[in-house]
Amino acid sequence: MPSSTTPMTADFFKAIKLDEIDNSFQQELLDNCGIDLNTCLECGKCSGGCSNTHIFDITARQVVKLIKMGEVDSLLKMDSLWTCVSCQLCVDRCPASIDIPRIMDYLREVAYKNQIPATREQVLVFHELMLGHIEKGGRVEEGFLAMEFNLKTGDYFKDVFDPGMKMFFKGKVNPFTPKMKKRDETRRIFKMTSLRKG
Amino acid sequence: MSETKTALVIGGGIAGIEAALKIGQSGYKVLLVEVAESLGGVLEKLYNSYPRYENPADLIKYKVEQLNECPNITVMTQTKVISADQKPNSYLVKLQNKSEAKEVEVDAVVIATGSQMLDVTSHGEYGYGHYDNVVNSLEFEEILKEWATNKDKVTPPKTVAFFKCVGSRDRSKGYPYCSKICCMYTAKQAGVVKEMFPDTKCYVFYMDYRAAGREYEEFVRSVIEDKKVKYVRGRPAKVLPEDGRLLIRAEDTLRGMPIEVTADMVVLAAALEPSAGTKEMSNIFPVKTDKYGFIDYETNEVMKTGERIYYAGACSFAVESLGAMHQGGAAAAQVLALFNQEN
Ligand SMILES: Cc1cc2nc3c(=O)[nH]c(=O)nc-3n(C[C@H](O)[C@H](O)[C@H](O)COP(=O)(O)OP(=O)(O)OC[C@H]3O[C@@H](n4cnc5c(N)ncnc54)[C@H](O)[C@@H]3O)c2cc1C
Ligand code: SF4
Ligand code: SF4
Ligand code: SF4
Repeated sequence: MPSSTTPMTADFFKAIKLDEIDNSFQQELLDNCGIDLNTCLECGKCSGGCSNTHIFDITARQVVKLIKMGEVDSLLKMDSLWTCVSCQLCVDRCPASIDIPRIMDYLREVAYKNQIPATREQVLVFHELMLGHIEKGGRVEEGFLAMEFNLKTGDYFKDVFDPGMKMFFKGKVNPFTPKMKKRDETRRIFKMTSLRKG
Repeated sequence: MSETKTALVIGGGIAGIEAALKIGQSGYKVLLVEVAESLGGVLEKLYNSYPRYENPADLIKYKVEQLNECPNITVMTQTKVISADQKPNSYLVKLQNKSEAKEVEVDAVVIATGSQMLDVTSHGEYGYGHYDNVVNSLEFEEILKEWATNKDKVTPPKTVAFFKCVGSRDRSKGYPYCSKICCMYTAKQAGVVKEMFPDTKCYVFYMDYRAAGREYEEFVRSVIEDKKVKYVRGRPAKVLPEDGRLLIRAEDTLRGMPIEVTADMVVLAAALEPSAGTKEMSNIFPVKTDKYGFIDYETNEVMKTGERIYYAGACSFAVESLGAMHQGGAAAAQVLALFNQEN
């Protein structure tokens, strides 16, 4: 907001030139994911129902709106990108069935490809480790994943005793996850679709 | 002018009543059949009506008196149309009431079988059918009547919330169309609550308010400005039980913030769809219907939907009572023109 020292001529609320908006990302979503944002009614049922909206810097409805306004850059940097938990509540509620979790995924992919730093580094680390497991073994080895995550983030004892050990004794975490049979298949999928940097 | 011709009017709501009256008063015979015990349709269930806060029961009473005075009109309640056989210039129609079946030959038909509210158990997030105090708007009209008669005994609710467009403008779990009248009756209902209980808080959750009609915009503005009903722009996402009350979660889309409000009652303005009776009639008679099952019109003709078949009122789409009555009159004009040409 302007303060008493800001010059009176500063462009804080410079008008958006509607006819200069770049709609290519909206088109890209339609072409690549079959999601048509023109069906959005701007009703806010998505963000009203979103399980994490209280910690979102940009709400689900605003994500849709900002794409339509061509403001994709701010979406690639937003915190919501990494606090969205893909719970699907928004799309379940949406009267137009707009698949916002898929949009979030797509945005994450673009951010990752373009090496835009994640605001929540741990979330990215977790994603990478988890996908690494799937690539290698075809499934996630939860115990090891948690250990590796703690090593990587330097928070060595996070969740180890509670709930880690508790879950272990209840048989919820299997330290020796059996390997999948057709591991080559999974690796092939990864080769075809990977966005890995470098 | 011969007076032998007979019109069959199916449905005794305001649209059917008006059509029957005008045909009968013009000298032709009319058979008005109504499946319910009495005439009046949905209007009979309403507490009052927008935009002039009139009592719809008065209108029905006035019209029914005229019906009774007209010797050409026969009213058959608790009666249904079972089948119809198309003849060159008439229909052979089988009617069934409680005790007997009857066959009549009629020269024209007016369908006025109305619409009904979508069953909104489809929208599990609102808890209709699970929580006692989540009701649809038609049930709420009953509640308003009850509150009005027992005003001194009722504990006023602290808060009432109204959700608009439930199952309308919803291609996911309802219909893509706008049900046209719910913006107006929701404003009316919220205003009535404030009138009865000025201390009760009323919130109307809306995407838009649609108030296109004579006195409509002024009506909604007066509900907001004079009766102090709060309009919140956002479609609620969830209703949760909380200490015997109802917690509503939504986003205020103008503010861009999540909001919550605890209410004692939630009123759902459910979509209007063709009534079961309307669907039955479109199976029995050779009429046009749209993809939702509403009676559709023939291009270039007023209220016409098939050979010697006309329609009026909410069976063809959501409409306010004045519009339904006008349509009844227009359908009658078509029947009269047809009958006069053939005489
Ligand atoms: C909650 C709510 C609030 C409303 N508030 C207002 C308001 O404030 N002001 C306003 O102007 N309008 C209001 N309306 C709209 C108003 O109720 C309608 O415009 C009006 O009732 C339409 O009249 P109709 O005769 O077309 O249909 P209906 O009133 O539905 O009448 C149809 C009749 O046909 C009968 N029928 C059905 N099937 C058969 C069959 N197979 N055989 C014989 N009979 C059959 C039914 O029993 C019924 O009597 C409201 C509607 C609702 C739902
Ligand atoms: S999927 Fe993401 S945006 Fe959608 S409701 Fe869940 S957390 Fe919110
Ligand atoms: S719920 Fe769907 S239609 Fe409504 S604002 Fe969100 S994305 Fe748009
Ligand atoms: S009339 Fe109003 S409440 Fe009803 S569907 Fe249309 S916009 Fe929604």
